[in-house]
Amino acid sequence: MTANMYRVGDYVYFEATSTNPYQIRRIEELNKTPNGNVEAKVMCFFRRRDLPTSLVSLADKHQGALDIEGENSDREDLSSKQRHQLTHRELFLSRQVETLPATLIRGKCSVTLLNETESLLSYLNKDDTFFYCLVFDPSQRTLLADKGEIRVGPKYQAEILPKLKEGDIDPRKFELMESLMWTPEHNLTDKQIDQFLVTSRSVGTFARALDCSSSVKQPSLHMSAQAASRDITLFHAMDTLHKHGYNLSEAHSSLVPSTGPVLCRDEMEEWSAFEANLFEEALEKYGKDFTDIRQDFLPWKTLKNIIEYYYMWKTTDRYVQQKRVKAVEAESKLKQVYIPNYNKPAGTLNNNKGILNGTTEPCIGKPCESCGATASQQWYSWGPSHMQYKLCQGCWNYWKKYGGLRVPMAKIVPGENEIDLPKKKSGSLSDEAISPTILVLNMQTKTERIPSSLSHRPHRCSIIGCAREFKVKAQLARHYATAHGLAVRAGSPRPIMKTRTAFYLATTPLTRIARRLCRNLLMSRHAARSPFWTINVPAIKQECQASIAGKSMVELRSLLVYKRKDRGSVTNIATQLGLARNHELIVPDWLSPTPPDHIPRSERIAFPKPPKAPDGSLLYERIPNKPEIEKPGILPSTPISGTKRKHCEEVNGVDGSLGVHDGIQASKRLSRDVLSSGGGGGGPIGPRTVINHLNGKARVATMSRTGRKQVISWMDAPDDVYFKSTTITKKVRKQLTAVQLRRAARKPWRKLSLVKGMEDMIVVLE
Amino acid sequence: MTTAVKKKVCYYYDSDIGNYYYGQGHPMKPHRIRMTHNLLLNYGLYRKMEIYRPHKATAEEMTKFHSDEYIRFLRSIRPDNMSEYNKQMQRFNVGEDCPVFDGLYEFCQLSGGGSVAAAVKLNKQAADICINWGGGLHHAKKSEASGFCYVNDIVLGILELLKYHQRVLYIDIDVHHGDGVEEAFYTTDRVMTVSFHKYGEYFPGTGDLRDIGAGKGKYYAVNIPLRDGMDDDSYESIFVPIITKVMETFQPNAVVLQCGADSLTGDRLGCFNLTVKGHGKCVEFVKKYNLPFLMVGGGGYTIRNVSRCWTYETSVALGTEIANELPYNDYFEYFGPDFKLHISPSNMANQNTPEYLEKIKTRLFENLRMLPHAPGVQVQSIPEDGVNDESEDEEKANPDERLPESIQDKRITGDNEFSESEDEGEGGRRDHRNYNKQRKRPRLDPNDPADAKVKEEEKMQCDEPNPKTSSTSA
Repeated sequence: MTANMYRVGDYVYFEATSTNPYQIRRIEELNKTPNGNVEAKVMCFFRRRDLPTSLVSLADKHQGALDIEGENSDREDLSSKQRHQLTHRELFLSRQVETLPATLIRGKCSVTLLNETESLLSYLNKDDTFFYCLVFDPSQRTLLADKGEIRVGPKYQAEILPKLKEGDIDPRKFELMESLMWTPEHNLTDKQIDQFLVTSRSVGTFARALDCSSSVKQPSLHMSAQAASRDITLFHAMDTLHKHGYNLSEAHSSLVPSTGPVLCRDEMEEWSAFEANLFEEALEKYGKDFTDIRQDFLPWKTLKNIIEYYYMWKTTDRYVQQKRVKAVEAESKLKQVYIPNYNKPAGTLNNNKGILNGTTEPCIGKPCESCGATASQQWYSWGPSHMQYKLCQGCWNYWKKYGGLRVPMAKIVPGENEIDLPKKKSGSLSDEAISPTILVLNMQTKTERIPSSLSHRPHRCSIIGCAREFKVKAQLARHYATAHGLAVRAGSPRPIMKTRTAFYLATTPLTRIARRLCRNLLMSRHAARSPFWTINVPAIKQECQASIAGKSMVELRSLLVYKRKDRGSVTNIATQLGLARNHELIVPDWLSPTPPDHIPRSERIAFPKPPKAPDGSLLYERIPNKPEIEKPGILPSTPISGTKRKHCEEVNGVDGSLGVHDGIQASKRLSRDVLSSGGGGGGPIGPRTVINHLNGKARVATMSRTGRKQVISWMDAPDDVYFKSTTITKKVRKQLTAVQLRRAARKPWRKLSLVKGMEDMIVVLE
Repeated sequence: MTTAVKKKVCYYYDSDIGNYYYGQGHPMKPHRIRMTHNLLLNYGLYRKMEIYRPHKATAEEMTKFHSDEYIRFLRSIRPDNMSEYNKQMQRFNVGEDCPVFDGLYEFCQLSGGGSVAAAVKLNKQAADICINWGGGLHHAKKSEASGFCYVNDIVLGILELLKYHQRVLYIDIDVHHGDGVEEAFYTTDRVMTVSFHKYGEYFPGTGDLRDIGAGKGKYYAVNIPLRDGMDDDSYESIFVPIITKVMETFQPNAVVLQCGADSLTGDRLGCFNLTVKGHGKCVEFVKKYNLPFLMVGGGGYTIRNVSRCWTYETSVALGTEIANELPYNDYFEYFGPDFKLHISPSNMANQNTPEYLEKIKTRLFENLRMLPHAPGVQVQSIPEDGVNDESEDEEKANPDERLPESIQDKRITGDNEFSESEDEGEGGRRDHRNYNKQRKRPRLDPNDPADAKVKEEEKMQCDEPNPKTSSTSA
């Protein structure tokens, strides 16, 4: 019965998936959900196999240090098999908390902090016992010993003066250090003291009868007597006795001075019903924030009054009732939960976990991978499915509980994990080697497509229930800011929230070559149609490298040449399509074009065509409708205009043949600018930003003033700038002629010789 | 052994202490001290001891241990000017666990003042046992608040005791490690700190078995790391032998016991399974040594049990038995539904196996064996025995009264004798220790004849003067 009773604080096995070992957790809370299920809030312990490989070696190192330090001789006596099994008993505490359904609990275990005096064998010899020494932080990916430190130094220790010599006198006045309130050194008997206490209570009852405010509150004698019996009266009586030198008669008479019988009232009695109601109301509103309660509800009371009253109020019926309500609310918080033994019928085992080949007949010649047994009640497939490994019943149970094989596996599992093997101690060989694969499936579903991310340390959001990963810290910071409203102060004073700058795609010759060479891998049409389809860049790179390898420079250059495919004009094609018909093309009258001279002309031409220039292009008249050109703010010839314009340059999707596709008038100018900046020789003064955006991979290339190329993330885009005009700049501006201004506006990179010191006027918004 | 010996007990209490409030949801409730006080009154224990209202410790007194800056900060910080002290609050670790509340400084003054006054009282030999339930704030550091503690009244009290006592023993039965006191006296051999606490993923994280002190204070810090679920029997099985051994080897002139009640079963923050009786047994055991004895409070976050425990321990100090039925008092309703003094343990699992406790004990004994047995100390053990014998006489002679002056005087001479012999010959004690240490540094190997000899000598040193105690410890 008690074995199946799980309570808060127990260490338990959880079965998250049927194929993986149990998870070991500590129950922190048991909560009943509205639909009647029980959820357990648990603290996670990690096994060695759950650690990132980089940390495993660290753990080994620590273990090694323990071995040397440990003075127990039995540590040296451990056989390699025992050493191997010990690695299964070591856990790593984490402060990670998660919530799991209690039905997944599969039994109790015990986890204790390893003490150096303990024999490790004591863990091996007892089932379901684990130890831990180190704390694993999954978000930081660190492994630390959880040990506080006693600091040594004059800043920490007390200064100890030598013992006083005989005759040394402490100059302090001891009378001031304490005041005596009561001494047992008196000639009164216990009985006399008790009698005096009764007397003072009776005086108190009488005093309440005389006091109007009391008699209203305590209409019955019974209540007055009760009020007079509170501890304050007793303390007062004791004080009175002491004050009068334990002289009973003096003490008695002091209880009934000429002003009337002594009345001692504590806060409980002092407070009116109105105040009490006010207090309850306030308590409901503010909770136990007594400072606020005093300020807003009971300013005529002192804080001490309120606190004293609060603790007395807790003894009243009203509080008890409130507590009962609270208790009902708290019912969802369970102290313990009963979970029956988990006995999955054998049939399910067959189907789900699979006796090999789905039949009861085990593969002949394939013994248990762990112990080599050939006979077992039940077989379980284990490891990667293509390996067709299997375990016997006992070894399976061991695997589930301890996350490893009883005996170190002799064979090395082929696959990506081979690389890790040499790093490991010989004792802990190979069965852990399988673990990373499972780990990937288990913990990192998000990144499982990219195996390399295992070694890479991403920045993970530490908010519980989020755990999104980011490659760059700045991205994480931004995520914190946008998703959780958290401002994470990085080293840089730059604001996290920044407008995204526009970007366009700059293709390098190599990219273009790759596009041509790896057409089948790239599937550009497919990619264009489904932009969220990930392109396997590494594969393309590899393929490209391979095919480039044998090619000469000339061949490569020829690849770069844009070959216009002569597909003929659309009109011709259309006509051809029409002609291809067997029958005569029938064009109804209403479809045939009206001859130009038959088109009716309107009397007034609203928008006459502008005159033609000698080269045949139309000459548009300039309409200076934007007065801001003249206004301060966008003064040409300064980098500001460059940056400003850059924001509009969204030439999304225009590829490498950028300059060639200039058929469209409108984009012509933009394209040129971009080209010039990309080439780097065009001489724009301000910082220009060029971003590669290749299927989700963003890259920003900045041209700084010195012309050096820096690669930064687009998250760290250049700061917003504005132009601050001063009296000097205004003056300088006035010297410019209108023509000069216009020219400058059109060609912002051209330096105006007139303007000096203008660059200093740019203020970066931070 | 329920001694008929009536000790003179002085009890320190300020009626204001219950009204300090750490803040909403904070587990530390000074109100528990008032609850204890009211129980003491209604149990009739109040009238059996001297009741003192302590003075408020001055900044000067507090800076005997704490740094001037820190005390100045505590004196000036208030909830309404907190924003001006952001930097300092961080530096002194005030804010989260140790919040700024109304009357914070006064609260520190009262708890500190109580322990200092109690220590002075013991120094003057005007009491056998002093109790300050408002003290015991063992986490406070020299310039740092920690674990609900701001001013370390224990360190202040011990410093006071050191003026008249060569060696002071500090015992800590709070569920948390007594790190503040340990750190304060980490490098001295005049104070031995012994702390029994839960260790492992637990506040404050210190208190490893291997932390034994540093410099001159090496082996003078004793840490007993325990696991969840300590029950009365397990606790006694480790407390009694360790303290016996400590008393035997360290031979303190005064004892301070921190009675943190968070080691009781069902504590809001603790994870042990002690009952009031088991907790009180520690007090009873230490009391038997008849040394000047300062008892202070400490942790304890299920306040009804805290006041039960401290009431019971006051009765133990007084040597008075009290009824299990709680007397009516202002806070009677807190003690429902049973309204009894004693509590029963829960059925939680005890993770401390006898094997584990035994191993720890063995290791600690090994450490304690490294303590120097300077001739000065040896000589002392004889008059100590003499005092003990005489105290048995006291028992028979006048159980109810204060000690007759003759005996008290004898004790004074006893104390002086210790100091004289130690102070003789310009640090003779230290020299002896070095000498001993040199011989003892290598681990004793029974097969090595030289070592065996040392061991033999050592054994004689322990055994000869006091065969009784050593036989019980073995």
